[in-house]
Amino acid sequence: MNKKYDAIIIGAGVIGTPIAFELCKMGYKTLNVDKLPDAGEGSTAGSCAIVRAHYSTEDGVALAYEGFKYWLDWENYLGNVTDEKGMAKYMNTGSILLKSEGHDWRKVQKNYDAVGVKYIEWDLDTIKKHVPPIDLHKFWPVRRPEDPKFFDEPTEMLEGAIFCPEGGYVNDPALSAHNIMRAAEAKGGEFMFNAEVVDIRSENGKVTGITLKDGTQIDAGIVVNVGGPHSFKINQMAEGVWEGCNIKTKSLRHEVMYCPSPEDYDYLNDGYHMSDGDIGCYVRPEVGNLFLIGSEDPDCDPQEWVDPDEFYAGKGGHGRDNVLTDEQWKAQCYRLGKRIPTLQVPNQPKGVVDLYDCSDDWIPVYDKSDLDGFYMAIGTSGNQYKNAPVVGRMMAELIDACEKGLDHDKEPFQYEFKYTKRTLNVGFFSRKREINYDSSFSVNG
Amino acid sequence: MQIYVCVKHVPDSAANIHILGNTQIDEKVAFLLNPYDEHAVTEAAVLKKTVPDSDIIAVCMGKKDAEKTIRSAMAMGADRGLVVETDAVCDSMTTARALHAAIVQDGSPDIIFTGKESIDSEGMQTLFRIGALFDFPVVTNAVSLEIKSGKAVVTCELAGGRTRTFQLALPCVLGAGRGLNTPNYPTFPDVVKARKKPIQTISLDSLGIPPGPGSAKIVALEPLIQKRRPKKILGTPAEQAKEIIRILQQDAKVIS
Repeated sequence: MNKKYDAIIIGAGVIGTPIAFELCKMGYKTLNVDKLPDAGEGSTAGSCAIVRAHYSTEDGVALAYEGFKYWLDWENYLGNVTDEKGMAKYMNTGSILLKSEGHDWRKVQKNYDAVGVKYIEWDLDTIKKHVPPIDLHKFWPVRRPEDPKFFDEPTEMLEGAIFCPEGGYVNDPALSAHNIMRAAEAKGGEFMFNAEVVDIRSENGKVTGITLKDGTQIDAGIVVNVGGPHSFKINQMAEGVWEGCNIKTKSLRHEVMYCPSPEDYDYLNDGYHMSDGDIGCYVRPEVGNLFLIGSEDPDCDPQEWVDPDEFYAGKGGHGRDNVLTDEQWKAQCYRLGKRIPTLQVPNQPKGVVDLYDCSDDWIPVYDKSDLDGFYMAIGTSGNQYKNAPVVGRMMAELIDACEKGLDHDKEPFQYEFKYTKRTLNVGFFSRKREINYDSSFSVNG
Repeated sequence: MQIYVCVKHVPDSAANIHILGNTQIDEKVAFLLNPYDEHAVTEAAVLKKTVPDSDIIAVCMGKKDAEKTIRSAMAMGADRGLVVETDAVCDSMTTARALHAAIVQDGSPDIIFTGKESIDSEGMQTLFRIGALFDFPVVTNAVSLEIKSGKAVVTCELAGGRTRTFQLALPCVLGAGRGLNTPNYPTFPDVVKARKKPIQTISLDSLGIPPGPGSAKIVALEPLIQKRRPKKILGTPAEQAKEIIRILQQDAKVIS
């Protein structure tokens, strides 16, 4: 006899675990399966875990801002569960969005006003007071160090910044997923690791369960794809699901750098998260007084779409495998070196290379599918970590509503935010949508 | 003072290294300044501060791409660069002869820094061979340097952490160890300045060095296959910590 659950969730990262947690709270008997050895060990572990509200769409801003409330109230959200590994911490540094041509900051500000996000406008003197080593020249457009113009002297200054005091980052993204797993277990959720899914079984247009690589079959009337960079492979295993998506996902290679802060700047304790479209980078503090330097994917940078299994096995060669490249190290560190001129850049790259599960328009797909009982929370595009607890609740309610008969494709589910009391049309994240041209088509979302 | 720093363009130790044809590596990986040479360049820049009219010349033998490593050395304080260009993979005899010839052709060294070894071939010979060709004294794994009354007072670290302090007549050759300093990595303005510093490229053939009396060449490269046997440590955090300490003391013998 196959073991049977109400819902099987494929993936135990920071999106898969809260879906389990919320479904358990609603009375579902859940099982998360993950091919890795523990919760949060996949692309969640490589996430920069930034918590900021600036998105290019109003719904994007609203979702992120709702997420803030969960991170600020982490222990309560998790039902004060104990985790033997300790609890992830929300580092509420505040978040600086530099006003630049690299971001449509006016749109962000409009969205902030519409949603009610708290923010303060900073002039250049105020930025300098808060970030003493900063150089506020305008370096736009973003270029690569291979381009001689990269070294041109700047002549103009930036305009200022929008500071959002509630923003920040989570200090240990893998641990945060582990915390949510422990909270889900406390509500009866089960987790199975080192378990790779090779088939999604279905009968008469209805999902019936999964088959693992070792041949084990597990049955459930609900299966949720939260496979991260493997999401497109999971969708392809389920009858008619891949074909039924107008928006597809694929995995994008992404490098994040760790560069020591200047010695006279205690960035770890005094620093802010900062999005700097003018140089195409975002930064946050990291343990060891390091700058964590992410890229906002400027047009001049190469995009490498890779096979996730090949990538994680270290295959594909220079620029496509899971090793940092010297070229991108210099690009990201030197870009930040313009903004922080006392930043010393070591010769050997240090950082993280991982994958984004990226959708066609860089907006996620939170939806049902063309196969009854099969759902997906995919295409998180490097920008959904902060939304994970909200997405967990929203997906659980969507699944519950659909299982009770809602035709979400015809009559999109309306999700009411618990804290900000706004209503979100979940149809915004539909797999059937046309490409959303309001998107930034980047990690900015 | 003319300060020469011999630097090597080596593969990044974090790269996925693949062996091609049994005798060489696939060079489609990141190459950078040999980490021990970072200490050598940093020390040269420190020395220049005490002897302001000094000229620091970074010298590197390698393929055209080695110019990137010279740029790194210049961003860390070298004033100019010399590349001895060759596509050949040279043994330490040829390398030392080439670097010696390039330095002689360029000027008159007061001190020659190198790293104590390169992280790719780990030969630890080239600095001694350069010293022999010049007839200069050589010490390696230097962890401190002071120039006093025209002599170099150098402390070197020996096996087991013991140290020995030498007084060397100048000119001399010093192999920099990790303990010598903290590498002074470049800022973006340093990188900008380094772009304008001159690099002279000399072909190995044009140096006309006589062939060495002997030679060494790689006939087989074998990758190290690490056999990992992961074991889960169970118990309370305190029990786990105790078990980790036991493993480090008794099995790995890395702490006492």
